[in-house]
Amino acid sequence: MKSLKRTRDITPLPSRNFKITVDDQPVEACEGETVLSVLLAANYARVMENDRNVASGAYCGMGVCHCCQVKINAKHKQRACQTLVEPQMSVETLANRFKEEGIKHD
Amino acid sequence: MTSQTHDKVVIVGGGPAGTAAAAELARHGLKSVIIDEAPKLGGVIYRGPLRQTDSLPHLDDNLKRAMTALQTRYQAHSDSIEVKTQTRVLGPEGSNQLLLSDNSGLSRQPYGHLILATGCHERSVPFPGWQLPGVMLLGGVQLQLKSGLVRPGQRMALVGTGPLLPLVACQLHKAGVDVVGVYEASPFAKLAKEAVALLNKPKLTLSGMSMMSYLKKHKIPFKYGWGIVSAQGKEQLSSIQVAPYDSQWRAQRDLAQQVDVDAIGVGYGFVARTQLAMLLGLEHHYSKVSGYVPVLDEWHQSQNHEAFVVGDSNGLLGADAAICEGQLAALRLAWQCGKITESQLSARSTKVKNKLARIKKFRFGFDRFSDRQSGLLSLAQPETVVCRCEQVRREQLDEAIAQGVKDITSLKMRTRIGMGDCQGKTCSSYALDYLHEAGLTENIGVIKPRFPLDPIPFTLME
Repeated sequence: MKSLKRTRDITPLPSRNFKITVDDQPVEACEGETVLSVLLAANYARVMENDRNVASGAYCGMGVCHCCQVKINAKHKQRACQTLVEPQMSVETLANRFKEEGIKHD
Repeated sequence: MTSQTHDKVVIVGGGPAGTAAAAELARHGLKSVIIDEAPKLGGVIYRGPLRQTDSLPHLDDNLKRAMTALQTRYQAHSDSIEVKTQTRVLGPEGSNQLLLSDNSGLSRQPYGHLILATGCHERSVPFPGWQLPGVMLLGGVQLQLKSGLVRPGQRMALVGTGPLLPLVACQLHKAGVDVVGVYEASPFAKLAKEAVALLNKPKLTLSGMSMMSYLKKHKIPFKYGWGIVSAQGKEQLSSIQVAPYDSQWRAQRDLAQQVDVDAIGVGYGFVARTQLAMLLGLEHHYSKVSGYVPVLDEWHQSQNHEAFVVGDSNGLLGADAAICEGQLAALRLAWQCGKITESQLSARSTKVKNKLARIKKFRFGFDRFSDRQSGLLSLAQPETVVCRCEQVRREQLDEAIAQGVKDITSLKMRTRIGMGDCQGKTCSSYALDYLHEAGLTENIGVIKPRFPLDPIPFTLME
């Protein structure tokens, strides 16, 4: 799979970094970063699909609005802005359990 | 309770207020524990970069100095301050104990004394298209700049009100973002009226003026009396409509202009973060600027509870005031614990109180300038979603009010507004303003926070 390019870093990443995958595509990340920063650096604006099938991007960016929830290491509804990256982390955007399991609201 | 537990001061929130309180307590021989959800102390304002970097070319020296000062204040007393980062308070459990969650699971934190320094979050104003990816709140934009070291967009505009607009515009530009416009809802004439108030903090006023001249020099349009109308885009943001606002901040749609952008920062104010204070049972009252805030005495101690509340979580005054309030609460607590005498309390607190009074005069000037007007409420069209989690539309609020709903709890039960993952933190200030605008002012109540304040995965409950 092709690697994702980071195009929005304000200062260069330190030389010691590692890879995570976003939707199965490898991307560079480094210690201390949030998943959201990696997503934004790689030009990902759409990150979440909520339980009512509406896509959204990071909105408050500080853990309050729950609009950047992604699937991380097979766990649903993890806030990208509140989760720090770890080597080999697997991030899936627009993943929703209602959608995956065919559950309908209302 | 053991004597050790009895003495222990627990501070929720490690921003300017919480860290200042901990340092002041340490000065008088009192140990404390700071609990913070972030990986680093400092709060949203002073946390600084989360990853290694050789430089911070986009941040000004004042901010860098303040970030260093906060770390120094903590470091000088780190022996007396235990810090639990990446830890969330889910709520009170039993008496004098909080339930916490972190990566390893749930734990309990007993306390002898409690200081809440939970800060604020942004006030959301729904408008058509505000759910599009690329529409972010101003604080979220700033966090990416200051802590993430990432540009949230390539071509951006800012809409909102208050001193954060020029500050973030400068930071974005220095970070390499093409800033195509800044739209301040309030007219310049209103700012000019506050000249006397602004002179209470001459350095801050000067720094604001130098930001404005930076924007001018780089030909970044800054329009007073303008604001957001709507956002457009297929899967994500591609443009916004902005228009002049009248004195009631009603958008003059016939004069709207389109601005092409891939991201925007929206900042129409903040709301005190009081969910934990409410769960603990502290009495609150409503303030237009800050939303519901705890009723406190001059030392920031609750009138009906032993807890202290400091910083923006008891009313929005910003970081400098938060530091003063943290110090005042800590001094009072040191006196209550017999660590300082009444005359020491009075001697040390007088200076802090005077400083706080000056900050308030300055801040109230900006509050009058940024006093939000009812026109903002009419940006949302009948079909515009006002509660993101539950996708409640404005017309559902209209229908409920027409059918006789008179308070926010009934509104919630009728429409599901505020019932989603965010517990109403995103929609409740709009809902409150909307009920006020509908002429409902008596006993409309508040969207009550629910225990646990943050979702607990089932896996942690075994």
